Amino acid sequence: MSSVGVGQGDRRAAKVARGIVLVLLTIAFLIPFYLLVRDALSTDQQINNVNGWTWFPSNPQWHNLIDAFNDPSAPLGRSMLNSLFIAVTQTVGVLVISGMAGYGLARIRVRYASAVFYVVLATLLIPAAVTFVPSFVMVSTLGWVSTLRGLIVPGLFQALATFLFRQYFLGFPKELEEAAQIDGAGPWRTFWRIVVPNSWSFVAAIATITFIGSWNAFLWPLVIGQDQNSWTVQITLSTYATAQSINLHGMFMAALISMVPLLLMFLFLQRWIVAGVEQTGINE
Amino acid sequence: MSAPAAASDSAGAARSGPARPAPSRRRWTDNPHLWFWVFVGPFFLGLAIFVLIPIGWSIWLSFYNAHNTVTPTEFVGFDNYRAMLGDPAFRSSLVTFVVFAAFIVPTTFVISLGLAVLLEATSWGRAFFRSVFFLPVACSYVVAALIWRHGIFTGISSGLANTVLGWVGLDPVPWLSVVHPPWYWLVITTVRLWLQVGFYMVLFLAALQRIPRHLYEAAALDGATGWKAFRYITFPQLRTTSTAVLMLLLVNAFQAFDEFYNILATPGGYPPYARPPLIYLYNIALGSVQDFGNGSAGAVILTLLIAVFALVQGKLTGLGRSES
Amino acid sequence: MSRPTLPNPSRRQVFAGVGSVAAAAALAACGGNTGRSGGGSSGGGSGSIAQWYHQYGEPGTEQAVKKYAAAYKDAKVNVTWVPGDYDKKSAAALLTSSGPDVFEYGNGPTIDMITGKQVVDLTDLLGDAKSDFTPAMLARMTYQGKLYGIPQVVDLQLMVYRKSLLAKAGVKPPTTLDELIDAAGKLTSGKVKGLFLGNDGGAGVLGGPVLWSTGHDYLTKDNKPAFNNPEVAGALATLQKLFRSGNLLLGAPTDWSDPGAISQGLCAMQWTGLWTFPQLKQALGDDFGVLPFPAIGSSGKQSIPFGAYASCVSAKAKDVEAAKKFVKWLWVDQTDDQLDFAQSYGFHVPSRTSLIAKADKLKSGPAAEAAGFIAKYGHPQTPLLWTPTSSTAFTDAMDKIIRSGANPAKTLASVEATVKNEMKRFA
Repeated sequence: MSSVGVGQGDRRAAKVARGIVLVLLTIAFLIPFYLLVRDALSTDQQINNVNGWTWFPSNPQWHNLIDAFNDPSAPLGRSMLNSLFIAVTQTVGVLVISGMAGYGLARIRVRYASAVFYVVLATLLIPAAVTFVPSFVMVSTLGWVSTLRGLIVPGLFQALATFLFRQYFLGFPKELEEAAQIDGAGPWRTFWRIVVPNSWSFVAAIATITFIGSWNAFLWPLVIGQDQNSWTVQITLSTYATAQSINLHGMFMAALISMVPLLLMFLFLQRWIVAGVEQTGINE
Repeated sequence: MSAPAAASDSAGAARSGPARPAPSRRRWTDNPHLWFWVFVGPFFLGLAIFVLIPIGWSIWLSFYNAHNTVTPTEFVGFDNYRAMLGDPAFRSSLVTFVVFAAFIVPTTFVISLGLAVLLEATSWGRAFFRSVFFLPVACSYVVAALIWRHGIFTGISSGLANTVLGWVGLDPVPWLSVVHPPWYWLVITTVRLWLQVGFYMVLFLAALQRIPRHLYEAAALDGATGWKAFRYITFPQLRTTSTAVLMLLLVNAFQAFDEFYNILATPGGYPPYARPPLIYLYNIALGSVQDFGNGSAGAVILTLLIAVFALVQGKLTGLGRSES
Repeated sequence: MSRPTLPNPSRRQVFAGVGSVAAAAALAACGGNTGRSGGGSSGGGSGSIAQWYHQYGEPGTEQAVKKYAAAYKDAKVNVTWVPGDYDKKSAAALLTSSGPDVFEYGNGPTIDMITGKQVVDLTDLLGDAKSDFTPAMLARMTYQGKLYGIPQVVDLQLMVYRKSLLAKAGVKPPTTLDELIDAAGKLTSGKVKGLFLGNDGGAGVLGGPVLWSTGHDYLTKDNKPAFNNPEVAGALATLQKLFRSGNLLLGAPTDWSDPGAISQGLCAMQWTGLWTFPQLKQALGDDFGVLPFPAIGSSGKQSIPFGAYASCVSAKAKDVEAAKKFVKWLWVDQTDDQLDFAQSYGFHVPSRTSLIAKADKLKSGPAAEAAGFIAKYGHPQTPLLWTPTSSTAFTDAMDKIIRSGANPAKTLASVEATVKNEMKRFA
């Protein structure tokens, strides 16, 4: 009797301990977001208050929000539209291109399939910065500098996405495809009518990873987007810090605004994303 | 969730079965080469143009004296390789990387696994906590570095970290200015952990949910609960996920660039410590030095190093096996 | 392999096809204006010149340079305003034909841009005006008798101090390093530190001043390393001690190039630049004075660095002669624009000495005193043959000595080896 009582007490204690740890961790994980909001609504003097810590500015600078969109040398609205267009196009493109390639690599048996696959794997290991200058020279030879083409097209060929799609399609139940083939569907129709519609949550996961990567890309847009009209949001963010000084409140506000599309996407796609990430295939 | 479970078997047994039902008009087997290139061709063509050719070009550059030009004419053999291997700053950047990886890979691994186990054991608010830990994945390194550098770890007394120190009666620390002790590592590693652990936690959560309950029930009868159950059931069951996570972490650590650059670079340039290989090579090739010969040679050395690490780790943990 | 490797034509055409679909969609979605404005260099229209500037921090500068360019009659000039890492971006663009025709570069083009024939000779642009430009500045941009950049405006770095705080502590403005160290100690009280040399303790910015103030330099007149000697090592050892003294402001929210630290009252003395003076005046009124970097040792002499963004012409410019003509028009002939650029937005010294006398803002107060420092204590920031590789090695060494406590003499010796090796490329 006594032993059972102790066991239950232990379990309750463990539960309480877990709860406390989780709440503390939640606070720790949310603090950076809180600072982002606090500093976005402050003046530079309030951000670096010499007199001590402030929990929240007593007079929040709401006009920072409007100012962020009215700075001619940091065209936030325009660059967010650019980023949105680039990220959406790249995401759709990567899903189609890598999805097809992943399926081909997983399902079609030709002698050189594994050789092609190992080339894809090998490029994963090579840091992008290594090939940066030759890529830039090539894109500029094509005349694509400061164009959306130059910003979008080179990012359409993602070895990681192809790798993940292949791993996923290896685990796709073959019975479904075979049934379609018996009904006379060719590879093309099997893929688009049977395989894709049954893979939405995985597609959502890859879409998310690609969208985030595209939205947050910095180095490539910096060098390709020479003209102000082709700046992406990360480039605009970087203009708040010049060689001489830094506009802190402006940068925090722009950073906060720049995260809104991603956070919205997270809220709406959350369920799919998590389910999809869980199927990335690397669990098997 | 059942789909991936069936995965490896069906892939392994792939299309060796002889007698399948009535072959339709357009099977893969009718013209596999055509269909392979229809599916893989667009991707491979793009990869060739935007990745493979630049890689080849870089390798070619590494054998030339290429100051301020990417079409050099002066062949120098292995001179650039000799120069880079003899460059103490490059060697120390490799050491920096090893130190960084040796810390960040196991730490991220343990924390994300810990979070997953913690969440798995929790019955209420699991979706909420999962979202909270996953949320930083949406943040860019540029934004995170801004928050860390100018919000949390500012050197003045009203920065968050120094305020906390003040509460317990300690003096403010200029986190990014002092080198002894190397507080900058605290700044750099915490930002990476914050950005990354949520993603790996989700991977572990998925794997945890697939461990059959009955294993734990059987173990509990033998008195194995808590740590013992984790040690003898959970951990072995997570082997494949762990392997993949370790590999991703290692490659990511090798590619470390953004948070280092955004946190440590000053108007005067990048300091000589905590300078990972990519930052150093970036400065040589892309920076004002504009030496593509040495920069490319260093990149080739780095890539070979990554490949060796990846192969060794693959061999040790058996990642290659699931691939074949 | 004299031209960049290209994919074979058929693939390229296929690819360009894919690209144009994307571009067409882009045009529809984004209002069309995605190319370079007005068909800049990639448009290739004759009579159009692409000009690049780095992003100046002061409001109005961008509008001003666009206004100057618009007034040029002989060609259409498209100004590109470049944020972020300007040096990297312009250097990468110079490798291609989509780069600028006219661009500015800190202290003129690098030696490798000159020997790599990426920039063209501008010697004949100055004409009679040559004697009007600061000679040391022109010498810095000249290689083997040819001039490769036209200095736009001169900037300088110096020490500023709060007069009131020094008076209160009974400290005289320091003229030697020992006095500076002493003053830093006396001026430190509570949250206010005596001195701010940047968040790295001066490692990034004080290389030149330490060399000149000890009576030495980066390179000798015949381009031999001149920095490896006991006086310099001794001075760096002093800075090393200062870093640990607790009298130095470290971890400030802004760095030395921003007036924030001294104007917010975090320190009593700060190393900074002339460009901060408008903000300093606004924040501190008349409560600030100026000093050169103090003298070190018996043979030392006070010093300051000065430098200039210079206008250069790319060898890949579509029309080199037209580009040169524009540079001559704007940065040699248009003295009104030069004066406006120097003092209406940021705060600089005109590079033509005859204009210094006409600059209202340089006529009195600390600014006038500072402008006078160029002639009295000024050194060009670095010599032409001090390549980025040498510069990185030296700055690394400064950092290791000051912050990590490395042995000054040994560290300097290893830099000397790197620099000698680098010099071989230009022998």
